[in-house]
Amino acid sequence: MEHRPDPAAAIRRIWHQCRMHEHREHPVRLVVEDDLHRNRLTVFFRLILAIPHFIWITVWSIAVFFVAIVNWIATLVTGTPPAGLHRFMCSYIRYSVHLNAYFHLIGNPYPGFVGEEGEYPVDVRLPGPEPQARWQTFFRLFLALPALFLSSALGSAGGPTYGGVSGRGSRYSFGGSGLLTAAVAVLGWFASLALGRMPKGLRDAGAYGIGYGAQGLAYLLLVTERYPNTDPTELLADVERPPQHSVYLIGDPDDLRRSRLTVFFRVLLVIPHLIWLSLWSIAAFVVGVIVWFATLITGTPPASLHAFLSRFVRYSLHVNAFLYLAANPFPGFAGEPGRYPLDLALPAPQPQNRWVTAFRVVLAVPAWIVNVGLALALTIAAIYTWFIALIRGVAPWGLRNLMAYALRYGAQLNAYVYLVTDAYPHASPLEGAAEAEPPVAEEQ
Amino acid sequence: MGRALALVALAGGWAAASWYLWQSRVPGSLHLPHLDEHHYFSAAQLHASASFSNVELLFWVLGVVVQVVVLALYAWRGHRFMRESAAGPLGTGMLLGMLGFAILWLAGLPVSVLDLWWQRRHDLVTLGYVDYLFQGWFALGGEFVFLCFALAIVMGFARLLGERWWMPAAPLFIGLALLFAFVNPYLTPTHRLEDSQLRSSVQRLEKLEHVEHTPVVVQDMRDITSMPNAEAMGLGPSRRVVLWDTLVDGRFSNRQLEVVLAHELGHLSRNHIWKSVGWYALFAFPGTYLIARAARRLGGMAEPKAVPLSLLVLVVLSLLASPVENVISRHMEAEADWMSLRTTHDPVAAKQLFRRFVPTTLGEPNPNTFEYVALETHPTIMQRIAMAEAYATSAAQSP
Repeated sequence: MEHRPDPAAAIRRIWHQCRMHEHREHPVRLVVEDDLHRNRLTVFFRLILAIPHFIWITVWSIAVFFVAIVNWIATLVTGTPPAGLHRFMCSYIRYSVHLNAYFHLIGNPYPGFVGEEGEYPVDVRLPGPEPQARWQTFFRLFLALPALFLSSALGSAGGPTYGGVSGRGSRYSFGGSGLLTAAVAVLGWFASLALGRMPKGLRDAGAYGIGYGAQGLAYLLLVTERYPNTDPTELLADVERPPQHSVYLIGDPDDLRRSRLTVFFRVLLVIPHLIWLSLWSIAAFVVGVIVWFATLITGTPPASLHAFLSRFVRYSLHVNAFLYLAANPFPGFAGEPGRYPLDLALPAPQPQNRWVTAFRVVLAVPAWIVNVGLALALTIAAIYTWFIALIRGVAPWGLRNLMAYALRYGAQLNAYVYLVTDAYPHASPLEGAAEAEPPVAEEQ
Repeated sequence: MGRALALVALAGGWAAASWYLWQSRVPGSLHLPHLDEHHYFSAAQLHASASFSNVELLFWVLGVVVQVVVLALYAWRGHRFMRESAAGPLGTGMLLGMLGFAILWLAGLPVSVLDLWWQRRHDLVTLGYVDYLFQGWFALGGEFVFLCFALAIVMGFARLLGERWWMPAAPLFIGLALLFAFVNPYLTPTHRLEDSQLRSSVQRLEKLEHVEHTPVVVQDMRDITSMPNAEAMGLGPSRRVVLWDTLVDGRFSNRQLEVVLAHELGHLSRNHIWKSVGWYALFAFPGTYLIARAARRLGGMAEPKAVPLSLLVLVVLSLLASPVENVISRHMEAEADWMSLRTTHDPVAAKQLFRRFVPTTLGEPNPNTFEYVALETHPTIMQRIAMAEAYATSAAQSP
């Protein structure tokens, strides 16, 4: 029998190889051994308690600035960072991770001042000094800028940053306060005070932001020449997955190919969908109000209206996935299940807690705050993907997974607000682990 | 036999409608004298306009060739983009339509940028390259919306009625054309005409042309172009005359501006916007029918793979129809010129105005036949001057 080459299989193989390359373990590894327990007293005074550390890291950061220049020149000359300077940088990165974790309530105990390995439940493992390509070293500051910019959305590690001068004076902010980690810290503060423990979703989200920031800092300070990886599944590889949420992503995770033409015109191609989505949003709002009353009275959303809102939530995901380049094909206009590579499993109408239903909009505010942080990261990731996909014809695995995380959270929030489910959005970047059978998707 | 009779009846109806729409106030007996442009324009002016127009014509031909070649290639291979869609047939058709326009824009970009460079070189356009690209980009977004809407209509009817989709689609497109003609003035940002003397002239002219209370407004265009222009737009309560600020910037005297105003009010007085929609209606039926016929070999317009071919057919038909459209447009513009002459009784100002158009727009006073047939939507400048001369002669002869 004649063997016929299969081009599709060849393309799949290349993508797989790309993915495997991107899947190589990053030398900067985040270690999370935190047990979620929080001491209410230290949580309440966390900001004040951290002041000595702020002073210390400011001094340390000044020293790092000068040492980094020496290290850069030395690495340019010898091709490898000197061992002593490398150790100094590693200690600084580790310390900044400890402090960021403490300040943002990702860890509970008070951190030490020297950045010792293994001394804090949220730690980072760093590689030894290795030879680095000189041209990359030469341009390191410029090459690091995209990662640092994304860090500003997720949560950077590092010392204090100067926030610029306005007419009313200067503004300082702490280096770890990316939008996502800042949101996590604020929400985590209230939650920890109330519960005595940090919600796992918020903790994982904050750890992810800090881990990415640490990778970015390690790249900038020549600790490694591996570019930071935004893939949440790799950054939090050692973290236990949360339970399966009733709203979760399904579809084809290998949908990394991108058509350069549709990528180039993506913003314009999505306009008809945005118009349609706006019209649908008006209808969904009206239906949402009706469903709210119905659920308050009967305890369960009416099946037909629930199906309508489920379609709306799914369609929103499809459109956003297309707009933000998290998926390749042009989506349909009906939010049909099983038609899109980045799809959503949604639960059938089930009884919902009336209290949760009554205060749904208010309860959604914290999730909305987290979503704002993720939306910024999503936008930045989409811009990077646009350029990369135009050149390579594929979306980077890490960025795609970051976008999938942000989109999943947005979809869970949408489903919560529109009463498709009363399960609160789970902020963990990790996809939930199915325990038994997955929830029954509607319209089956 | 019955079909033939129906066809004859349709053709008769079409011809009768055309005859009605063709009616004009320009006397059939009006004889336009043959004029030599050298008596009206200096050799330098004629040379400048000829050299500018020749290159413009070259760009136009290049643009058309690129357009047809790209669309032909797209009609041949465009269906491959179907794999980029997870939407149903309708959504996939929309995607293919949008991609066709996107490719067309990309392919035509070098020629249009060259054209912009040429116009900037002659100080006719002040728009920067970056602004031009961004405006083109956003305009493309607007085109996408209209295209998707049109394809949703066509493909929706095609799924319901098969090959007969054009029967309900054509009236719907005509309705949309009417709606657009009505809404267009509200989408055009304008401001009040400041010149009080001109405003009183407007009132007088409106009364003479029986189009009282028509707003005359000014549109800011100087950031884009230095070319003067004016247009009549709108239907019923939305109708108005829009003067570009490049027309009222002091380069033209008030007498010349009155000629322009009377010309534009003449358009409204003679219902030219309605007539334009009428002509569009006459072409919409055969046009959509021909597209339906062309799409038949690819399974009809219900199939998304027929969309690239239908775009090609649409563009080719538009190109073929453009000489006829130009004839109609020139006919209406000539009538507006005549209305203006009858209202202002000022052929001297009209001639001065038309002569000013040569240095301000670098339009050729007497273009070659090809350019005239393919591109001219207005009578040539020499024809317009000739009409003013003819009016002056007839006015002098009348008691």
